[in-house]
Amino acid sequence: MFDTKLTRRSVLVAGATTALAMPFVRPSWAAPDTVRALMWEAYLLPDQITAFEEANKVKFVPSFFDGNSEAYNKLRVGGSKEFDLVQADGFWPQLYFREGLLRAVDYSKVPNASGYLPEFEAEAFKVLSDPKSGKKIGFPFCWGAYGITYDAGKVQPERTETLECMFSSDYSGMLSTSARFEENIALAALLVTDRLGSRDKPRPDGKPFNPYVLSDEELAEVEKLLIQQKSLLLTRYQDNPTLFQLLQSGAVVAATEFAQVFRQLLTAEAQGAAPVDFRHALKMKEGGLGWVDTWLVTSGVQDGAKFDLCNSFIDLMISPAVMKKIGEVAGCSTTVDLRSISNETERKLFLMDRSNEIADLFMFDQPSSPEKWERVWSNVQAA
Amino acid sequence: MQDANLQRRLILNIPTAFLLLFFVLPLTALVVLSFWQTENYKIVHDWTLMNYTTLATEGAYITFFLRSLVMAVGVSVTLVALAWPIAYFIVRYGGRYRIIFSLLLVIPFLSGEVLRLIALQGMLGPAGLVNGALIRMGAAPLRMIMYSNAASFIAFIYLYLPLVVTTVYLSLINFDFRLAHAASACGANRFRIFTEVVWPLNLSGTIVGFMLAFIPTLSASLVPRFLGGPNGTLYGMSMAQQFGESGTWALGAAMGVVLFLFSAVALAILSYGVDLRRTGFTGLGRQ
Repeated sequence: MFDTKLTRRSVLVAGATTALAMPFVRPSWAAPDTVRALMWEAYLLPDQITAFEEANKVKFVPSFFDGNSEAYNKLRVGGSKEFDLVQADGFWPQLYFREGLLRAVDYSKVPNASGYLPEFEAEAFKVLSDPKSGKKIGFPFCWGAYGITYDAGKVQPERTETLECMFSSDYSGMLSTSARFEENIALAALLVTDRLGSRDKPRPDGKPFNPYVLSDEELAEVEKLLIQQKSLLLTRYQDNPTLFQLLQSGAVVAATEFAQVFRQLLTAEAQGAAPVDFRHALKMKEGGLGWVDTWLVTSGVQDGAKFDLCNSFIDLMISPAVMKKIGEVAGCSTTVDLRSISNETERKLFLMDRSNEIADLFMFDQPSSPEKWERVWSNVQAA
Repeated sequence: MQDANLQRRLILNIPTAFLLLFFVLPLTALVVLSFWQTENYKIVHDWTLMNYTTLATEGAYITFFLRSLVMAVGVSVTLVALAWPIAYFIVRYGGRYRIIFSLLLVIPFLSGEVLRLIALQGMLGPAGLVNGALIRMGAAPLRMIMYSNAASFIAFIYLYLPLVVTTVYLSLINFDFRLAHAASACGANRFRIFTEVVWPLNLSGTIVGFMLAFIPTLSASLVPRFLGGPNGTLYGMSMAQQFGESGTWALGAAMGVVLFLFSAVALAILSYGVDLRRTGFTGLGRQ
């Protein structure tokens, strides 16, 4: 049936087939050759990645996402075997763990985990523990809020003590919010529930108030409020550089953001840009939204060389020197205590002495009903 | 003989397999998904018409579709109106530089669409070239070109003008201008020559150009995202949201199917006016 004669053609065919198959054939005992991460692009430091690749003789393969729901979708569709490391914030890691997308982690295998600020130490930071088993499910990385960055020359600081500031016609055409629908709805929900006084009433999920779990009545009010806000907005920015330009040019005087642009504006001023009194309100009287970005290990990673490699990567990422660099590049506050290697200005700029305020913020979470929230957002966009 | 057969089969089978794999199969998956539902980022495999009912009854999606339709018609008509004089000028007066002029039209395509949009965002934005200059001259900035449907309109014109000009150019370059001279010799004025000779005989190329602008504008998601502002959400952008941040894939799939069907019908209707031999795409030259 098969031609077994050894001819030049058969040798060439066999050789070519073997050569083509080689990249896919690896002995089971071989060391892992890649680390695949689903992460935020802002946290990618090329020089550190190169150093990691050279030190461990592996290739780092990043994939990027913007919002948590997008990462969640990618992780679910691709399965946890597509990625080794993943980033998420707020309560999302708990959801990932519940769904079997993550594995438990071991802080003792990541030496730099001993350098966390008190609020983010393993025992204190419960958001990264599985409520049922108590297992640790990830490592805190950067933290921040979804506060208001404003030009104090045009917006009085006391006006930013309340979320009403972002819905005031006094600043018509000079306001901006991010294009992310979850945070727009959740932030408006803080104002709506405060106005309605519905926070202390029984909640739809029977748990304490969470702006990501809303009743239909509250959602309807949120929709109305966001429609009213539309006429006051210059735009919903897609990325930080756009917001930076809008604030620096004076076209926007107040915007909700993750404080990253605020820091970039101050850095630009220190480097010679025209001085403007930019400030950032972390939490308003109605409350505020907070986030802690994390590094998580997917359930596709088994104990052994791959898990060690993941731990080694996380250890590098949360080392003080790298964290400081990430803070500067991405403009975020870090969960690692960098006070001993930072000057007074940096301590203020990166809120190093205000990390305890994270406890008062509502953590980013999954919308109670993505379908209902999507409808609200579509109605707002179409209005 | 056998070799010729094999060659013919390869020539036919490779593109057929490609189309089946990358067009028919994904489209089938999209159609199937559109009859399911998503709940909390999970696909529920229950057959339902709910997504289509939502699209037909919810005001928001109807608004997105109508906005996109008006935008697509407006953009395509404007592009045809702009492209004609440009293409006509190149063909009639370009002389030996005609080919260079037509190649110049391709230059914007050497950069990515996102890059071109970001550049445009910088130009039309509050601190951009236009408004920056106005402010420096002491005038008020033009609010209508900042994050608005007008800004999206300008972007579409900028993005698709080269396509439409090229199509009309290809049509005109294959057109026998002796016919226009004959009409002139018979006493027809310029307007009549254009409306009764030049325009009808180049209608095919014009319709192809129209469609090349109409369909991508109808489904556009990047332009409204970068430039549309709070009131500029178009159908394609909303559809992209369903697959991205909101994770309501089944509704997004239904939106995709509706868009595909509408585009196919529009294409079919307009195709009646197309005689491919006159478009310049056949390589047959003048017939």
